[in-house]
Amino acid sequence: MARRKGWCKLNYLLHIIIMINIYIILATSTNLLVGVTNLLSLGQAAFYGIGAYLAVYALMILNFPLIPTLIFVFLFTAVSSLIIAYPSLRLKGDYFVLATLGFQLIVYTVLYNWIAVTRGPYGISGISAPKVLATFAISGIIPFLILSTLLAGLTVYFFRHLIHSPFGRVLKGIRDDEISVLTLGRDVTKFKVWTFVVSSGFIGIAGFLYATYVSYIDPTSFNLDEAIFILTAVLIGGSGNIKGPVLGAVFVVVLPELLRFVGLPDSIAANLRQIIFGLILIILMRVRPWGLWGEMRIV
Amino acid sequence: MLVQFLINGIITGSIYALVALGFALVYNTTRIFHLAYAALYMFAPYILLTFYVNLGIPFLLAMILSILCTMLLSLSFEYIVYKPLNKNRTSGEVVLISSLGIMIIVINLIALFYGNETKIIESSISGSISFGHIIITYNQLWQFSVSVILLVVFFVFLGKLKFGQKARALRDDTELFMVMGYDVYGMRMSLFLLSGILVAVGSNLVAFDVGMDPYVGMPMLLNAIVALIIGGVGKFEAPVLGGFIIGILQALTVWAFSARWQDAITFLLLILFLVFRPQGIFGEKERMV
Repeated sequence: MARRKGWCKLNYLLHIIIMINIYIILATSTNLLVGVTNLLSLGQAAFYGIGAYLAVYALMILNFPLIPTLIFVFLFTAVSSLIIAYPSLRLKGDYFVLATLGFQLIVYTVLYNWIAVTRGPYGISGISAPKVLATFAISGIIPFLILSTLLAGLTVYFFRHLIHSPFGRVLKGIRDDEISVLTLGRDVTKFKVWTFVVSSGFIGIAGFLYATYVSYIDPTSFNLDEAIFILTAVLIGGSGNIKGPVLGAVFVVVLPELLRFVGLPDSIAANLRQIIFGLILIILMRVRPWGLWGEMRIV
Repeated sequence: MLVQFLINGIITGSIYALVALGFALVYNTTRIFHLAYAALYMFAPYILLTFYVNLGIPFLLAMILSILCTMLLSLSFEYIVYKPLNKNRTSGEVVLISSLGIMIIVINLIALFYGNETKIIESSISGSISFGHIIITYNQLWQFSVSVILLVVFFVFLGKLKFGQKARALRDDTELFMVMGYDVYGMRMSLFLLSGILVAVGSNLVAFDVGMDPYVGMPMLLNAIVALIIGGVGKFEAPVLGGFIIGILQALTVWAFSARWQDAITFLLLILFLVFRPQGIFGEKERMV
């Protein structure tokens, strides 16, 4: 009995680590838009959802194994971002935020109402486990822990290099002074489109992880609240570097669990969590707009 | 049938126009992307509920109290959050995120106190009048007439008094406004108060008809923003026109397809406008890049 209880606790801990891994991918990719290039996007959950539904399509209808599924999800989520990237990148400031918000709401409405394809509010359950080499199916908590840690590590490694590469430095240049970058002969729009494509590709991977791990998806996991939540992770943790979004992801996933330990009923805890996030956002924007662990800069 | 849908659309449109004008009063003049406006919209009917249903105060008095409380809340946003940020000259994005923070806090506080479920202010079904096949409920009549009267009063107010001129001056050039010796923050204060009146009246009219839950603010705010963008940022008449356009368009969507696609059509229109005519119908062309 005691061993069983211990196993439960361990499982719970591992579950949290998997969720942290998913949010690390979401936050580091969003950071490339929000923190490195200064494109405030409220449409990130749309790509998360597109990735999840694409993963289901690849696994259940095309019967792809793991690696082709990953490539499929990455490529097509990245391509889907072009629909919104081109038109919205011509806009600035509030107008850009609005365009991404509009995109988020349209994707959500389509996922919710196009019942023939997405099964709408009923959701898709029993998502089959991805197979490695056609024999070993990844299911159960330990294989997912390994898979998600690998993917999160890969994402962090990739973005760390990207931010420090010449490409990343141009992006930071765009953030700090777009006109100067233009005068230096860089095609700013091209850079922004690439940022969008790369970032949403990785967000698609997070969607794949979520869909296969939970093995059930419905549109409410990818609504505007989720988009705000992803943005909150980046803004609280900090933007512009890698440490910020990673720690931010850990923070936003762990905080609700801590509230649960305090012994608050679930209904209150959910609202209280939101209130705490809201308060942190307001205070941070006043004293430290680059976030708790972000790259210090003038905003 | 079509006429019935059109009339419904115009009536909904009048509410959108009212709420959108309140948003425009703040956004056009201060360039604050006032997401917390959604929280104000949600807040007002809960105050009406408390005074009218729970405490049994006469309706008109409860309505006035609800409007006053909403104005106070609106003013407190300016005092606690926007004004200090403005003094630090922070960028629009930072203000937007702070506004998002306020919205999250207020919505969840209301949800904590009143619960997440839908609340109803008036439980009896309202009567209606019919002209042939067309039916209009008394609630709809109230919505339309109060909105239109309030809109007319506002435009007379903005057009005739010096206040309107000052609001336009603040919109055009804040620094020059300051240089001329006018009180920027005093002006902002009155704009926040006025937008509080508009949003409180609009949301109380809707809540009296269909009730409310803590999450009604965001959809209405989004409609108001789309109305503003379609009409054009800058002129105060623009969001009113935009509001009626959205109302009619949504009614036509319900008529032609189904209510499920309302949002998709609305935001498609938003994106089309953002791409092809970001200055809106009334707006003058300006550089967006």
